[in-house]
Amino acid sequence: MRDISDAADLMTTAREALLRDLLPALSGERRYAALMIANGMAIAAREHRLGTDAARNEGARLRNLLDELPPSQGERNDAPTDLSALRKAVRAAIRAGRFDACDAAVAAALSHSAADWVAISNPKALRT
Amino acid sequence: MTNVETTGETVEDAATTALTGWLARTTNARDVRVVRYERLPGGAIQDNFLLDVHVDGGPWHGEHAFVLRTDAPTGVAASLSRAQEFAVLRVAHAAGVVAPQPLFLCRDNDVLGREFFIMQRLPGIAQGHRLTRETALVPDGDALAYELGANLARIHAIRPPWSDAVQRAHQAQGAPDADNHGEPVAIAPPPAHPALAAIAEYRRWLDRLDDAYPALEWGLRWCERHAPKTFDITLIHRDYRTGNYLVHDGRLAGVLDWEFAGWGDPLEDIGWLTARCWRFSGVEREAGGIAPVEPFLRGYEAVSGRRISREALDYWQVMAHLRWAIIALQQAQRHIAGGERSLELALTGRIVHELEYEVLQLISRSGS
Repeated sequence: MRDISDAADLMTTAREALLRDLLPALSGERRYAALMIANGMAIAAREHRLGTDAARNEGARLRNLLDELPPSQGERNDAPTDLSALRKAVRAAIRAGRFDACDAAVAAALSHSAADWVAISNPKALRT
Repeated sequence: MTNVETTGETVEDAATTALTGWLARTTNARDVRVVRYERLPGGAIQDNFLLDVHVDGGPWHGEHAFVLRTDAPTGVAASLSRAQEFAVLRVAHAAGVVAPQPLFLCRDNDVLGREFFIMQRLPGIAQGHRLTRETALVPDGDALAYELGANLARIHAIRPPWSDAVQRAHQAQGAPDADNHGEPVAIAPPPAHPALAAIAEYRRWLDRLDDAYPALEWGLRWCERHAPKTFDITLIHRDYRTGNYLVHDGRLAGVLDWEFAGWGDPLEDIGWLTARCWRFSGVEREAGGIAPVEPFLRGYEAVSGRRISREALDYWQVMAHLRWAIIALQQAQRHIAGGERSLELALTGRIVHELEYEVLQLISRSGS
């Protein structure tokens, strides 16, 4: 428990105020705009709470996938460490067909990460 | 062009003055008066205006309810020009496709500053979230799905070459008025292999972005490995989905938004209409959130004779989610990098995660 509000709590509280105090006074396009704003705030709050873990776990999963690959000719398997570079390395390996033989492992890793990000962007879309 | 207020009987400003002059010449009228001219909501890529006119004299004498369609200031890549869209709509309308009748094309930028065309305004409601929720609007979902299938099959009965399709449209409707239609307009030639061409195009798009998207890449690779060996090539709409057709009295009243049409594999349209991402409030109803897939496929088969396999549906639903993900990323770019700050565009970008998730779900369901 913190003593004062963090970013996620501020966002959540501001969103509640928007929905409770302003939304009832709005109609038509303004109501639609307010609902979009509330949605953006909800995503931001969830990302503040869950985003660091989602990124770290995605990075770890991608690194594992790259580590399992047999080295391609003439190069060592030096997996990068930052997420953006890892995603690019995985993209290159996928396009080259180097993951074709390990379908299940790749699908599982990518599905876990996709679910983590959906839990932030739109948890209602998750299926169990 | 600014949004024009409706004031009294006649709307007059620079845009409508230029427009009435052009319309009077085009319709051989003594005079044309604009009674109502308002921007219609919902055009992220195209600007649509409601246009009510009174035509005085000539073959068009009387009151008319039109829609004027022109380019939004910025659009999405790979869409047709208005002249091309007009030509495609003529071909489709002449082939019996339920769609607004295209009436006049203006390629002269001096009139409104942009190319535009005018089409018949049809009654009905298009909003996907309403059609998939309010049973009063769609009392018989199966019947609507059947009509959607039959109508899509009529689009898919149009085959290359383009010159033949245009010729048939002219025979059905009479030769176009040269003043209205000018030089014949062509569309891009058919791809050698539609699925592989789409995959290559989506990869090119992804390569323009700063980040990489492993889940989309995995979906593209899966589609490449499972690419259909045989395929048909017909005219396809490429945005045939709930939200892009009008429903009036529970019936299909017209298919809108032809800007992505072109030659392709007809199964692409079927995957797009049935994909989970276009079912709005009816996620369990595979035919566009309206009905189960069976009545839609029955309508399609009744007109086309084509029977669609579950395998083909799954494949093209994966492709549909990939395509929507690419478009969502393009929309996000307009906000992030294109100088078009917009919460709606920003939130569209966030849909990518759901689409990645859905691609992976579909692939695991279909097996490898």
